[in-house]
Amino acid sequence: MQIPRFIQIHTLHTYPAALLNRDDAGLAKRLPLGDAVRTRISSQCLKRHWRVTEDAFALANLDVPMGIRSRGTLELIAKRLQENGLTALLAQAAAEALRDAGLLDKGGKDKKGEDALKTGQAVLLGKPEIDYLVNRCTELAAGNAEEKTLKAAIGEWLKGKDEKRNIEALKHGSGLESALFGRMVTSDLLTSRDAAVYVAHAFTVHQAQVENDYFTVVDDLLQDAGELGSAGIFDTELASGLYYGYVVVDVPQLVQNLEGVDFKKCFADGASPEQRALAARVVQNLLHLIATVSPGAKRGSTAPFDWAKFMLVEAGDWQPRSLAAAFHNALSLDDNSAPIRQRAVGKLTAEIAAMDDAYGAPLARRFLSVDPVSVPGAERLNLTQLADWAKGIVEQGAC
Amino acid sequence: MPRHLLMRLEAPLIAFGGETIDKFGVIRDFPALSMVTGLLANALGYGREESGLHERLQSRLLIGARLDSDVQRLTDFQTAQLGKDDLGWTTWGTPEGRRGGPDAYSSPHLRYRDYHAGLKVLVALRLEPAAETPTLDDLAQALDRPARPLFIGRKTCLPSRRVFAGWQDATNILEALKVVPFPDSPIRLRLQWPDGEGVLPGDHVLDLCDERNWTSGVHGGWRPVREGVFDAPGVTT
Repeated sequence: MQIPRFIQIHTLHTYPAALLNRDDAGLAKRLPLGDAVRTRISSQCLKRHWRVTEDAFALANLDVPMGIRSRGTLELIAKRLQENGLTALLAQAAAEALRDAGLLDKGGKDKKGEDALKTGQAVLLGKPEIDYLVNRCTELAAGNAEEKTLKAAIGEWLKGKDEKRNIEALKHGSGLESALFGRMVTSDLLTSRDAAVYVAHAFTVHQAQVENDYFTVVDDLLQDAGELGSAGIFDTELASGLYYGYVVVDVPQLVQNLEGVDFKKCFADGASPEQRALAARVVQNLLHLIATVSPGAKRGSTAPFDWAKFMLVEAGDWQPRSLAAAFHNALSLDDNSAPIRQRAVGKLTAEIAAMDDAYGAPLARRFLSVDPVSVPGAERLNLTQLADWAKGIVEQGAC
Repeated sequence: MPRHLLMRLEAPLIAFGGETIDKFGVIRDFPALSMVTGLLANALGYGREESGLHERLQSRLLIGARLDSDVQRLTDFQTAQLGKDDLGWTTWGTPEGRRGGPDAYSSPHLRYRDYHAGLKVLVALRLEPAAETPTLDDLAQALDRPARPLFIGRKTCLPSRRVFAGWQDATNILEALKVVPFPDSPIRLRLQWPDGEGVLPGDHVLDLCDERNWTSGVHGGWRPVREGVFDAPGVTT
């Protein structure tokens, strides 16, 4: 039994005649690898399309159950304050003051006790944000030992002009996107958020197949007037390919970013599966997005929309490693022994078998495929089942 | 004879970062001491704010590297749309905005990032003093079951194999790099190792600025290293 600390996602996508990602000269991005140059899609390009997609599995649709989120956050802050030596009453007062000042709610409602901690809007605060609030409240508590004065002091502090704007910025910067893909602040190390989703550049498993597409724009009005003229002559590059993609989800880091708990406690004995529930749903949605969302420039003229033809998901706690080396030697385009997609899957499974043999670190695996292929030791599922499986193991903490 | 830990760094894209200035993210041919420190610290689960732990690990590390394939560079071009009103919160209570007039944001921000394509690198390393924690064994365990995914320079540079690659007893780093099995195709191997850890005929000493001050977050100081070429068996000159 392994702990699903890392979820690795390998994909094969087919994109014919598309310009998915271009460089500063307008050409398809390339990658020299092994014995051949390939075409490539950068991780920034892939992440952007997963982020902005609006569909049933969009990240925006993960709207977090309001009351529960904010209740969790304020309770966590109150608990952390007690760990810092505040009495239960003072910690409660501090949490109420944060809430009253509008940190996690509209504010001004002056709710007390349990009520104060159990209502409110969703604000997704990560560990750095919660650390900051806890530290500030602890500092203020040092000089204000009464509940009333502490509440007043916290209220005063949050009302300061700069601090008010700072808290606004804190809310904006703590969304789901930075929880997934990270946030880097060079001037203030402590406010940075480590990415929980690592994305490699995707590349073709065969040598680059690139075509220069020459086109003219015909001027309808001039034609009507009896002239042959075109309004412009252009060319662009189109590439076709079978792309290998690789993503790793760092589950403990994702839980830390979403729930504010330390990553070391994510799968610890007694850790609550509820704390991993949101991360599990994020992983579930992410699998759908990775399988079905296509990157791409020139969408209107090339329709570069594809769903993964093959997707392998691995879970475990060994060092994540991509299977890119399986394609270090480019697949031949002339080999007719089997369709290239099946040959690519064959390369991937051979690479897995070789790694398992050499290092004895087998992972839990599931896959989907539109072709009649098999992956030794891995069950074949459809996308819904695959995403549900990943969600389930994150929640259960075992695979 | 001291024991050395071996790492193999392989991935379609690798970035051994140099001094990034403005929008140009440049790279060098060999891994920096700070990068290896960061990679190991990541495996051990150090937080970025734990600068003391990073500092200590870096000061104990002796690393050398051997390039097992030819260096091929590529430049990745990126665009990012920034907004003038983007604000970042800070731990000192004053939100930080961006500088520049409104026109500075009408076009996307352009960035150029260099990478090594398909590079294979062998790293040999040792800790001094050896008895302190983390030990080399701790590092080996952490590399196999890292606290976070390992990456080689940038987060998109994910290794395509197990990074921990075994042990080598050798009198010094150079000797370790010289005896570990070579790549299949014989090539002239380029090596870099700390000054004082062996000499090769025709090598040269250079001063490298690749130590990070983990508290201030900037690189500083110089350390002498040697660079040289070593022919794997089978190379005809």
